[in-house]
Amino acid sequence: MASNTRKSPSAANGAASQEAVPDELGFRVVHHSVPRKDGPQKVTGRATYTADVHIPRMTYAKVLRSELAHARIVSIDTSAALQRPGVVAVVTGQDLMSLNMRNYGHAVKDHPVLAYDKVRYIGEPVAAVVAEDETTAQEALADIVVEYEELSAVITVEEALAEGAPLVHEQGYDQGVSPGHVDVDTSNKRSNVCQENHVRWGDVDAAFARAARVIKGDYTYPMTFAYPMEPYVSIADYTEEGLTMYSAAQHLYMVRNDVAGVFGLPLNRVRMITPFIGGGYGAKSYTKIEPLTAVCSWKARRPVRLQLTVEESILTTRADDSKVHIETAVDENGKLLARRAMIYLNTGAFAENSPLVSSKTAIRIIGPYLYDAVDITSYAIYTNTCPASSYRGFGISQIGLPAEGQMNELAAMLGEDSLQFRLKNLADSGQRFFPKKRPLTADVKGDIIKATEALGWNDPLPPNRGRGLGVLVTDAGAVPVGRSEVRVYGDGSVTVFSGSTEMGQGSMTVLAQIAAEEFGTSMGNVRVMQSDTALVPFARSTGADRTTTLEGRTVLQACVEAKEQIRVMAADIWEAAPEDIVLEPTGVMSEGRRMGWGEVIGKYFDLSDMEVTGRAHIRQKDEFAELPPWWEPAIAAVEVEVNPDTGKVTVHKLVTVADIGLAINPATSEGQDLGSATMGIGVALGEELVYDGQQLSNGSILDYRIPRFSDVPANSHGILVENQDGIGPYGAKGIGDGPTSVICAAVANGIYQATGVWLHDAPFTPERVWRAIREQRAAQAQG
Amino acid sequence: MPMFLPRFTIDQPSTLGEASRLLREYGEDGCVYAGGTELLLAMKKGGLRYGHLVDIKTVPGLDAVAQQDGAVRIGALATHMALERSSLVRSKLPIFAQVEARVANPRVRASGTLGGNLCFGEPHSDPATLLLCLEPTLRVTGADGSREVPLPVFMVGPYEVALEPGELLESVTVPLLGAHQRAAYRKFQLHEYPMLGLALVLDLDQRGAVTTSARVAIGSVSPTPRRSEAAEALLVGERGAVRGRLDEAANALADDADLLDDHEGSAEYKRHLIGVFLKQAFEEATADTSAASGGRGS
Repeated sequence: MASNTRKSPSAANGAASQEAVPDELGFRVVHHSVPRKDGPQKVTGRATYTADVHIPRMTYAKVLRSELAHARIVSIDTSAALQRPGVVAVVTGQDLMSLNMRNYGHAVKDHPVLAYDKVRYIGEPVAAVVAEDETTAQEALADIVVEYEELSAVITVEEALAEGAPLVHEQGYDQGVSPGHVDVDTSNKRSNVCQENHVRWGDVDAAFARAARVIKGDYTYPMTFAYPMEPYVSIADYTEEGLTMYSAAQHLYMVRNDVAGVFGLPLNRVRMITPFIGGGYGAKSYTKIEPLTAVCSWKARRPVRLQLTVEESILTTRADDSKVHIETAVDENGKLLARRAMIYLNTGAFAENSPLVSSKTAIRIIGPYLYDAVDITSYAIYTNTCPASSYRGFGISQIGLPAEGQMNELAAMLGEDSLQFRLKNLADSGQRFFPKKRPLTADVKGDIIKATEALGWNDPLPPNRGRGLGVLVTDAGAVPVGRSEVRVYGDGSVTVFSGSTEMGQGSMTVLAQIAAEEFGTSMGNVRVMQSDTALVPFARSTGADRTTTLEGRTVLQACVEAKEQIRVMAADIWEAAPEDIVLEPTGVMSEGRRMGWGEVIGKYFDLSDMEVTGRAHIRQKDEFAELPPWWEPAIAAVEVEVNPDTGKVTVHKLVTVADIGLAINPATSEGQDLGSATMGIGVALGEELVYDGQQLSNGSILDYRIPRFSDVPANSHGILVENQDGIGPYGAKGIGDGPTSVICAAVANGIYQATGVWLHDAPFTPERVWRAIREQRAAQAQG
Repeated sequence: MPMFLPRFTIDQPSTLGEASRLLREYGEDGCVYAGGTELLLAMKKGGLRYGHLVDIKTVPGLDAVAQQDGAVRIGALATHMALERSSLVRSKLPIFAQVEARVANPRVRASGTLGGNLCFGEPHSDPATLLLCLEPTLRVTGADGSREVPLPVFMVGPYEVALEPGELLESVTVPLLGAHQRAAYRKFQLHEYPMLGLALVLDLDQRGAVTTSARVAIGSVSPTPRRSEAAEALLVGERGAVRGRLDEAANALADDADLLDDHEGSAEYKRHLIGVFLKQAFEEATADTSAASGGRGS
């Protein structure tokens, strides 16, 4: 990345931020690329992740996994395993019978803690051994004998929807705590449809009937793995007092709810702690291995650690793969009229978060364009494959190629430049392009102009090269509910308490910046305590790019609330009216007298180490009533080269645009956007999990390749658009889902410009590109 | 797939004789352990099971690299990185240093050894593919003393080499390229292992216009890296004529390779790539024929 051309105010401002010199917008700490608070401990290997946590008397669990895709469990013999020295307990589905609930799931409670009646995919946990050490636990797995009665399985969406297809689930289930996104929940019907969603407005048939041109196409998005570097890991300690868990979980409060439900425990008896997370990207959202780990501890009466390998992690959660049929209609002036689409997601054996993912595909395939009418249907389909759940951007990746690839093809069909075609059809900031949702909160037209200018959109193209563009929007932020607390101490130091997790995205740093700004103090004087349900306030989730915007708002508001308490105290000390106390950047002032924040607290209580706590919350009310809280654009432009001999595609130039409102930390914001684009490049050029029959055939660290630094385009340029038009603190808007979703479409357009072929099936592997070019030449030769 | 390293013991002998004795003693339950980059992975995957590993990294001198009568003698324990950085290899066998520099990734290059690579019989081995064209001699040591084995004889099949129980690979002696020899290596890689490796060594006449003899090998696409006599025959002759026969030579190479459809690509695509990279290798090997030094590579 030596030749990375990203530029920002960042580098120069790192040191300046510690000084009380405001920048051009008046900010001293926010809007500066201050060093990450977690940086030194992470780069020196001192940071604590879940796998680093050891508790006394801890034991180790290993999981026996199903070797059949669909089978009834006839019997499980654990006697030999129990006799192996060092084995503490063996857990099977039989053990679940005395629990409050055998199944969990925040959307649909269809996920058994362990398979108890049948197995639904190769890799599903069937039993767990708890032993004094990991090797013994692993060895004892071979002692367990499982007798199955094999059932026929469905691996693809086509198989699952075929007449008379075997059912992955033969019964209905209760809804989970978070079914709010459910449009049409079909989980209680006897079919393999897990979820059906519709987005409709206008008269689509009439719009297509009067269209001057119509384009139709079928597209596929591969099965992928989000691939956080840290595999799933959790530790459970179940005692009479309740359950304490450490886990690499993005949404620890949702996990708490699921685990409490399994045991019928009150919320205050379940303590979830999330140390640093080694990356999530959606893979660590919602409940994964925590119920199984907790049940192991409950059975063994010992603390238990369950650490999965990368291979087991892939078998735990992948991303939905999709097939999409999409049609778009334009009038004689090239104005968009209507779009319709059918989206099928292969959701695997359990719903996980796919009901939300599928509902989001139906919203996000529309894009920030102005249509008279749309008719979108999406399905999440159960199959006997490993369960699919969230992946960066909830469903937007699965529809990025059909949504924006088709827009590129349409522009080409009309003989228009794809940038100009978009500018003609995109919504303006403030325009309500989607009925009953918040008007567009971003300047996407200005954004794509910036992207294409930075790319050199109209520069002459060298041979075998092409350029492409993509723009979509996500209804970001999830549900706007959250709380934060900020404690100010008598010595002027400040601690922020937040339920959000630090998974590499920089929440610890950004939340500290807000408090440091508000109290006129340094980053070093602010501490952030995060993600311990017993100690810090509730956070609904750490995902959907909500932390800076929504948690950040509550931190800002909690700072204001603490300062208001200090104002009242100062008034008491100075025997003045509270409204006569002026709040200055570093403390209070009245009639020329000044006190620092901590000084007021010390004097008020006559105790120098006393403290004051400010609290704030948001809920879906007032300015947060209309959803989404903000629309987050996904914007990228690329220049690619296609090797005509091998078909290999190389992305030479990449421009991303983050319409961020205000970058609280420009450096981490740019990092998020580049990381997001890099994930998209991985899928565009090669990432794909492949089922060979009923077996996942390349689900290993060796066989599944994700991008490396050498795959990051040498010429990468990240643009931060800061219009201070966001609902977050200081006008910020969340980013991070970023341009992952539009890379495939932008690359496809580049391949088209370079070769004249349109590709509809990601990833665009060298062989696929080579075949497409060859077929086109053969067709041309035939005339 | 468990991906879990089972229990085993490690012996650390100080001589090859002791290592050989231990291996004979353990029989099927023992294995030589050098860099471990392939072995430990296969054990994690459950594909190989050994109760005893005989670590020969404690045998002194097995990693030596030295010049010897128009050849470079490479100790079996020399790592890929050591060979990539060896000033002797870089000056006398630059093509070999260049190929070693692109083996796998830095971690593998730092611990993986040339001997381990050859003994594992990995079909995707870049060094083995190149060495087929450089025609080295392998020195093998066992209970009954030492013997010398040509590489094609050593490579029996995928993951299978011609070592008797208790025998170890001691060194690989690679002849230097002559002044009128040219070499090139091409590889194409999408995932962790190469999809195709192609090595070419040409003997040219005084003017550099005629190939008097050719050796060409492909790796990764066949059960073991292999040469093709039919292809090599087509590569002999005047440059222009050979150039006209490159497609035919590539097809001969592909025919002799037992190409398979797999996750890396279809047999049809691999056949196409063999043609692409044979042409590239030929152009590179014949590009600068006035230069005196041999062994130019990609």
